[in-house]
Amino acid sequence: MPSAASEGDMRVIYRGAEADLLRGRWCGSDAVFKFRRPLIYRLKVLDDAIRRQRTAREAEMIHDAKRSGARTPLLYFVDPANALIVMQWVKGRRLKEAVSSLPPEGLERVFAELGGEVARLHASGIMHGDLTTSNVLLDNDDDKSNDKELNLIDFGLAIRTTRLEDRAVDLRLAKETLTGAHSEVASKAYAALLEGYGGEVGPGEVRDVTRQVAEIERRGRYARVE
Amino acid sequence: MGRSVVGIESTAHTFSVAVASIGGKILSDVREVYTPPEGSGIHPYLASLSHVKAAPRVLRDALLTSGVAQGDIDAVAYSMGPGLGPCLRVGAVVARSLALSLAKPIVPVNHAIGHIELGCLLTATEDPLVLLVSGGHSMVVAFSYGRWRVLGETLDLTLGQLLDQFGRHAGLSSPCGMQVEGAASKSSRFIPLPYTVKGNDVSFSGILTTAKKLLDGGAGFEDICFSIQETAFAMMVEVTERALAFTGKKEVMIVGGVAANRRLARMMELMTRRHSASFHVVPLRFSGDCGSQIAWTGHLAHSKGVTAPVEEALTRQSWRLDQVDVPWRD
Repeated sequence: MPSAASEGDMRVIYRGAEADLLRGRWCGSDAVFKFRRPLIYRLKVLDDAIRRQRTAREAEMIHDAKRSGARTPLLYFVDPANALIVMQWVKGRRLKEAVSSLPPEGLERVFAELGGEVARLHASGIMHGDLTTSNVLLDNDDDKSNDKELNLIDFGLAIRTTRLEDRAVDLRLAKETLTGAHSEVASKAYAALLEGYGGEVGPGEVRDVTRQVAEIERRGRYARVE
Repeated sequence: MGRSVVGIESTAHTFSVAVASIGGKILSDVREVYTPPEGSGIHPYLASLSHVKAAPRVLRDALLTSGVAQGDIDAVAYSMGPGLGPCLRVGAVVARSLALSLAKPIVPVNHAIGHIELGCLLTATEDPLVLLVSGGHSMVVAFSYGRWRVLGETLDLTLGQLLDQFGRHAGLSSPCGMQVEGAASKSSRFIPLPYTVKGNDVSFSGILTTAKKLLDGGAGFEDICFSIQETAFAMMVEVTERALAFTGKKEVMIVGGVAANRRLARMMELMTRRHSASFHVVPLRFSGDCGSQIAWTGHLAHSKGVTAPVEEALTRQSWRLDQVDVPWRD
């Protein structure tokens, strides 16, 4: 863990594929320290460049997303040279872990809410770039509660864009993750997500974007051409 | 010798027939590989002609060397797809003829699933996260709810195509993977190339375009090979690691023709070490296309009653592995 010291103790709360998350204190507030570890399988010069670039990109995108009103943690500090971001600590657990325990109505409500959140992000010209259920935090994780607060995290692959194609790539990844890892609820969850998305941007827009998702799937290797 | 299944593979450059016992022994595996002229890729029609010529000898050798009696054969399995139309049709014709003459059931097999199931047999893995990398595929898959599910894949070229098309541009003859690997091992000079990861998917077309331009501009062949491998492999390993962190699988396996590349296997191994997962590479002899993958998967499918009537034992050029129901796993 490089330079920027937390006030007091820090503890690892999550080890992801590319970053470690530590919980600590920053200027009197609860904070998360996200450190992109060096990946030893990658050539050092390439690895350093990618970690630096993604750290800077993520900080920029969290900042922009927050400005446009998206629900994402506040950015406190960024140190690209050390691949470190310090941000607000938000309560909740990953949607990925919550999916299997959500009752059907709860599941639909959560994914509709997520769809709306993604739509607002897209409308403000940001594509998340990594919309998996690992990157959605669910607050108020009481299965009976009606208002489940969502937070979007991990903007390392986000870009500024308004292209239909990019928005569709975002939704396709969400769909891929759902069928790949949550097959049992995939179709329901994805339908709810689209409904929430459409609720924000209107039926015309959601038709365009789902048509583009189908187009991307047709481009997939060995996809049936109909 | 015991009960066995015959497998016929002909999706691309390889025509192969193998016999596998239902206990999981490969009793024979005979192959004939079509090699296109230097600088060009597989011409589907010419490859299929080569398969037609090779078929009688390959079939005879595979059956004879297996030592299996006609009565011990349970079924005839073949690669139904995906692959090159003319090549697939040769395998399908041979399969139908053999099945009719022996009066045995025909079992259609998805070629990609064949790579995976043979890999699982030979590496003794049960429920691995799989990186399938070949000329036709570059994808990360895991089994869940009755099917192999795709967790990440290439959006354009496969790794095999990337290495091949660059190699051919430099005047090598296909397949170029080993020659590119050899050249790469002689350099450590890194030239930046487009590193394109989109969520869990990757894109290699930018690397190919840039690499060709670099070569045309006079950059060193070995340096470019080194840089292609370092960039493209890191992208593929990165999305595999994401899928591993996401699924929490305990085994990681790499299969397909590009699994023969030692640098890729090494990177995968380094990645896997950080997670509590074991790492497995399909043995070199069975990384590329072969009848064994079809024979063994054919047996698994046949054991659950998967067969096709002869008039439906045709070919499917486009047949994604995530469209195939897999009743032999739970």
